[in-house]
Amino acid sequence: MNDYRYDHRTVQGFILSAIFWGVVGILVGLLISVQLWYPAANFPPYLTYGRLRPVHTNGLAFGLGVGAIFGLSFWMVMRLAKRPLLFPRLARVQLWLFNVGIAAAAVSLLAGYTQSNEYAELEWPLDIAIVVLWVMFAVNILGTILKRHEEQMYVSLWYIVATVVAVAVLYIVNNLAIPAGPMKSYHVFAGVNSANVQWWYGHNAVGFVFTTPILAMFYYFLPKATGLPIYSHRLSIVAFWSLVFAYLWTGAHHLVYSPLPDWLQTLGIVFTLFLIAPSWGSVVNGYYTVGQDWSKMRSNYLTKFFVLGITFYGLQTVQGPTQALRVVSQLIHFTDWVPGHVHMGTMGWVAMIVTASVYYVIPKIYGVQIHSERIANVHFWLVLVGQLLFSLTMWITGVRQGFMWKATDQDGKLVYQNFMDSLVGNYPFWQLRTLAGVVFTVGMLFFVYNVLMTIRKGRAFEAGRATPVGPAAASAA
Amino acid sequence: MAGTIYRKPMTFAVAALVAVLVGSVATMAYPMLRADMHPKVEGLKPLSPLELAGRDIYQREGCMGCHTQMVRPLRSEVVRYGGMRSPEPAGRYSIAGEFAYDHPFLWGSKRTGPDLAFEGWLKPAAWHAAHFKNPQAVVPRSNMPAYAFLEGRLLDGAEMQAHMRALRVVGVPYTDEDIAKAPAALLGKTEMDGLVAYVISLGKAVDRGARAVVEARLDLQNPVAGNAGAVAKGKALYADNCAACHGDAAEGTPEVAPSLVDDIFLEVKGDMPDAAYFTLVKGGSDAKKALGRPGFKEGGMPAFSGQLSDEEIWSIIAWLRERKAHPGGK
Repeated sequence: MNDYRYDHRTVQGFILSAIFWGVVGILVGLLISVQLWYPAANFPPYLTYGRLRPVHTNGLAFGLGVGAIFGLSFWMVMRLAKRPLLFPRLARVQLWLFNVGIAAAAVSLLAGYTQSNEYAELEWPLDIAIVVLWVMFAVNILGTILKRHEEQMYVSLWYIVATVVAVAVLYIVNNLAIPAGPMKSYHVFAGVNSANVQWWYGHNAVGFVFTTPILAMFYYFLPKATGLPIYSHRLSIVAFWSLVFAYLWTGAHHLVYSPLPDWLQTLGIVFTLFLIAPSWGSVVNGYYTVGQDWSKMRSNYLTKFFVLGITFYGLQTVQGPTQALRVVSQLIHFTDWVPGHVHMGTMGWVAMIVTASVYYVIPKIYGVQIHSERIANVHFWLVLVGQLLFSLTMWITGVRQGFMWKATDQDGKLVYQNFMDSLVGNYPFWQLRTLAGVVFTVGMLFFVYNVLMTIRKGRAFEAGRATPVGPAAASAA
Repeated sequence: MAGTIYRKPMTFAVAALVAVLVGSVATMAYPMLRADMHPKVEGLKPLSPLELAGRDIYQREGCMGCHTQMVRPLRSEVVRYGGMRSPEPAGRYSIAGEFAYDHPFLWGSKRTGPDLAFEGWLKPAAWHAAHFKNPQAVVPRSNMPAYAFLEGRLLDGAEMQAHMRALRVVGVPYTDEDIAKAPAALLGKTEMDGLVAYVISLGKAVDRGARAVVEARLDLQNPVAGNAGAVAKGKALYADNCAACHGDAAEGTPEVAPSLVDDIFLEVKGDMPDAAYFTLVKGGSDAKKALGRPGFKEGGMPAFSGQLSDEEIWSIIAWLRERKAHPGGK
């Protein structure tokens, strides 16, 4: 066990960092949700909605999401390769660089340094730091897998390797820019081409940050937590290859009815529809896995996180393709429906799977039990209710506003010519959304408390055990 | 499929890379080689240094988080953003060729506030300056943050020269002369000036104005004068089309647009006949010369021919006349 001790601290460091940035990102989210219906909550120049929104999205995608992906991928790779990390010190340096990078990113966004491409806002010096971080991650992941002590690579490793490869390609291409100053650059691509490259990137950031690494966690931690083997190996193979192949064709569904050439839009829509199949391959696999013994829903507190998580993944991957259809896109595109969709994926699928995986890993690091299953259950229900309330209010107001924009009388005149008519109707829904966000946030704070208390319990347990043995345990590094 | 690939990590990684690259090449890289990804409308000009400074500020403040810059070819959208005034059908919505110098594109993905793609044809500079300073003073119940701080910040000519040089590298045709002249053009200009200049430049690469030259015919009579139905209709049309600048009660907005119910018309005391109102609404500020009065120096009144029918314009005038306490001038 001592061989792993140092690496486990690194894993825990990533998890705690992810939690820290997650709390920051969620609180910023709450603030910007208030700003939408109470503009006096903007404090120019630094704390306006325009500058804070990328702090919210980047903080959660890269701070919480990628932080958790780094830590939990290291954990899975060590287990599945049956050995510690190949470069333990490199992983520790990566942990520090990650935190410095996210902090610098947050400050730079507040200062207004942005490329304006969604999820690729960070300016060029930070992009270079992120590429360095990713190379460090890739070297450790691929190196450890190469030197593994288990011949067969399990499904989760496929998804991790695909993530490593795809994110590298996506990030580098979309961030190609010409520097115009220390913190200013211009995208090398222009106009429709710029839009096409950005949404090829933007949609696959969802694919390879919020989907493939989370599926890796799902395929690993679901069987681990429940003791139930994955239902079908063959299905996981088919789903994997079709998913990583089809995802990259779909970016243009963000540009339906835009000046992008029609053939590209149609191609994107078609592949988006196809994507239902591989997505549901994993959904079906997940359901049939738990279906081997549904009593696990009662007897194991983590099972419901995975089942609800994969359920929202399933809903998300049907709703997304529906939105790509021209007839649906023209109604809901640009409205609040879309943030409703995104938040079902992030608050429903990603948050459920990541928090359940953390609940599994932290006690294992110390060989103790979770601090409180009861608190975990409270966390589960609050997060579930908060997310459903969030998404439902956004869908309703999105459709409402979409129809108001489109409404015309028999002469072809707009019924609601004044844009404000449709905007003010959002206010009550936006207030409800803030309430939903508060419920979700409280749920996440229960999670944070539970994790911190488990670590405390683990440290006490370790101290009690280590005292008679002496300093041997510290020599693993 | 029980191949050995799942035992060979490097082979597996290469296979995954290939799987990822096929779609990337087909939908991202290959289209770059095609002409339909690089169209350019005739006579497209790069932004002036002041407009470019404004675009940088638009990016910095994250305006695209709430505003789109892309009018879709949907009837309701074309009507809402004034696209119907374009003489060419293709100019009624956003077209690829007008974005050829946009590094990056700023179409946005969320329309919390209105689309701005045709803003250059919709509202005058003075409206934008007042609105940026205090949005709620101009649009009550708006949720937009105030950007008054932009007024106190001067633009830096040398910095904008560096930005223009970088854009030239990626293909925006700034000449040495353009770059050399930038500091002089920006001298004394504030960030507010830049942002306003940028916003009123939007959509201008394509003609989306009212082409028809409006003849000032002061002998016309309002066919619906005093008609109660027309007055009610005019009131509703006024609220939708005019109130944003001239105020809900038509009493004007300071520094943006004049009162329409006082006794001063085009900056001169004394009212004018309904036909003069009609000419101005139909033809915008450009038509005011024919009326022999100076008006606001910068103009700013858009032309509503193409957007409102003659009968609708007369209805608005009928309503305005109802609100005035004095008879029409001569």
